[in-house]
Amino acid sequence: MLIEIENVFKIYNEGRESEVRALDGVSLRIDRGEFVAIIGASGSGKSTLMNILGCLDVPTYGSYHLDGTDVTELSDRELARIRNREIGFIFQGYNLISALNAYENVELPLIYRGVGITKRGDMIMDALRRVNMADRAKHKPGQMSGGQQQRVAIARAIAAKPPIIMADEPTGALDSKTGLHVLEILHTLHESEGATVILITHDSSIAATAHRIVRISDGRIVADSKNDPAPANEGGATA
Amino acid sequence: MKITQALKMAAKSISANKGRSALTMLGVIIGLAAVIILVSYAQGQNMAMQKYYESLGENKLTVYASTFEGGLDVSEELANYCRRLSDCVAGFTPMGEAMGQINIKYGFQTMDQSDYETMPSFYFGNEQFGLCNNYTIAKGRELSSMDVREYNQVCVLGAATASTLFGMIDPIGKTVSISGQPFTVIGVYKAKGNGTTQYDEDGENWQEVEMTRMDRIVVMPYTLTRTLNNNQPVDRYIVKAVDSSSAKRAASLIKAFLSGIIDPNYGWCDVTNEGVWQEEENEANRLQQMFLGGIAAISLLVGGVGIMNIMLVTVTERTREIGIRKAIGAERRSIIAQFLIEAAMICGIGGVIGIGVGYLGTLIVGKLAFGLVLIPGAGITAGAFAISVALGIIFGMYPAAKASRLQPVDALRAD
Repeated sequence: MLIEIENVFKIYNEGRESEVRALDGVSLRIDRGEFVAIIGASGSGKSTLMNILGCLDVPTYGSYHLDGTDVTELSDRELARIRNREIGFIFQGYNLISALNAYENVELPLIYRGVGITKRGDMIMDALRRVNMADRAKHKPGQMSGGQQQRVAIARAIAAKPPIIMADEPTGALDSKTGLHVLEILHTLHESEGATVILITHDSSIAATAHRIVRISDGRIVADSKNDPAPANEGGATA
Repeated sequence: MKITQALKMAAKSISANKGRSALTMLGVIIGLAAVIILVSYAQGQNMAMQKYYESLGENKLTVYASTFEGGLDVSEELANYCRRLSDCVAGFTPMGEAMGQINIKYGFQTMDQSDYETMPSFYFGNEQFGLCNNYTIAKGRELSSMDVREYNQVCVLGAATASTLFGMIDPIGKTVSISGQPFTVIGVYKAKGNGTTQYDEDGENWQEVEMTRMDRIVVMPYTLTRTLNNNQPVDRYIVKAVDSSSAKRAASLIKAFLSGIIDPNYGWCDVTNEGVWQEEENEANRLQQMFLGGIAAISLLVGGVGIMNIMLVTVTERTREIGIRKAIGAERRSIIAQFLIEAAMICGIGGVIGIGVGYLGTLIVGKLAFGLVLIPGAGITAGAFAISVALGIIFGMYPAAKASRLQPVDALRAD
């Protein structure tokens, strides 16, 4: 099993009146090579779940094993290593560094990984080509449209070829046509590279393109079912 | 992450955020330059004072003795008494000064009392005139005791007098005319002033003028004072003490000695120790230096607060950046290394520029205020540089160190 969380809680302001249970006893297993959509309304806890799955946050209670390793026991340094090598993130808000151009943004995870400069150049251009952004390598985020920025963010996530891709509402800020394109890239990654893709969305038509749909509500998993993926272009990724 | 990689990343970040980098540098530049200029100014003022006092001669007592009707020549008595005080007195000379219509001529060149700015001073002294007044012989010789005893019509000229009268000609052995009497020039003193005769309209450069005036002198044996000075006897004497403590002792001894030989109904005497007001002046100078040092410390502080503000203002922006970097796999130490190098680079560059501005400012201030080539001390430069760079690094590091401790998701949430 690649990802295995057991009875995970994320509680803010625990014990006070304002206590919020963002995750309320979630257990989930995801196998290598799956394409999973986690769907839920806004405030359902789906982003919190992804942050924990992606080692961007730690659970208040519960266990998390990633590829057999107990992640809750890891040091800051080991967590950084996992974020760097095992997981590629795609955020709704792109999260590019505005002072750096597309090439330099994609370069960052490779630098932290210690990839040499020559090899790095090849990997960066390869990633940018796969999202069709090779001709914008020298552009800064401010000079690009939302869709172009998201494609650079995808290039950054896939440049080091991590086994897991996590995308939090990757199409949320994009128009439907661009969103569709982004979705296609994710599917290509899944099919051609065998990457495990975890896609967070509130949009059921986007979730419908996945092989498995996990529905979350009020911090609990309420449904988990296999899905016969609808072709992305027919379902129509709506804004 | 390798160090070269961290360096490149910091350089990239600096050039990508030019506005912020420039403002931070400005804080360092202003703080550093202000400290260097102010402290150097205080040091320059001290140097100028010191130079002035040195040229006057240190540990000098001025002795006045006179009858109520006029001068009283106690030269012989005082000279003998001073010889007995050899443990605390290094030299003694009468210091008669000619008043009224006296002039000196050589060929067509005349110097007289008509113009305040160019008039020479005519002194009557003995073989220790130079020693007591801090003059040294540049050419020829000093007056001798024989010149004094034999009423020899000889004179020693100050550097400015010699150059005015003789120009390029060697004055030694030439005969000049002092109020119509022939005198042989036997020596020329070295210049005390820096040779500029520029006079500041507002009297701002009084020290400089004084220094030039010191070189515009003529010194003759004091035994000639009656013939040349309207029968006025010498009434002023200079005693050069061995050091400042013996100056105090000599002053009271000489005062007691003169009181003993001058009938208080007939005349009076006084001994002033110039070292006393020099010490007061030094004390005032020290206070001023402390005051300027305080201002300098405040400017450094203001510069530091400026750096701190810029660094803290960018915290939100940088916190988000740190969140992104952590999310894609940066370790805490990589982030800290990057921000450390970035802050050190900005402050280092700002510091070097600040030193440059400080040196330039010091040169200008030194020239304008003191007419000196003033160079800031290495100690103050290094100290101010270290402090401002340290401030920059501390305040540049602080937000980074704080943000790098956050969970990536919390850092990403900052906006």
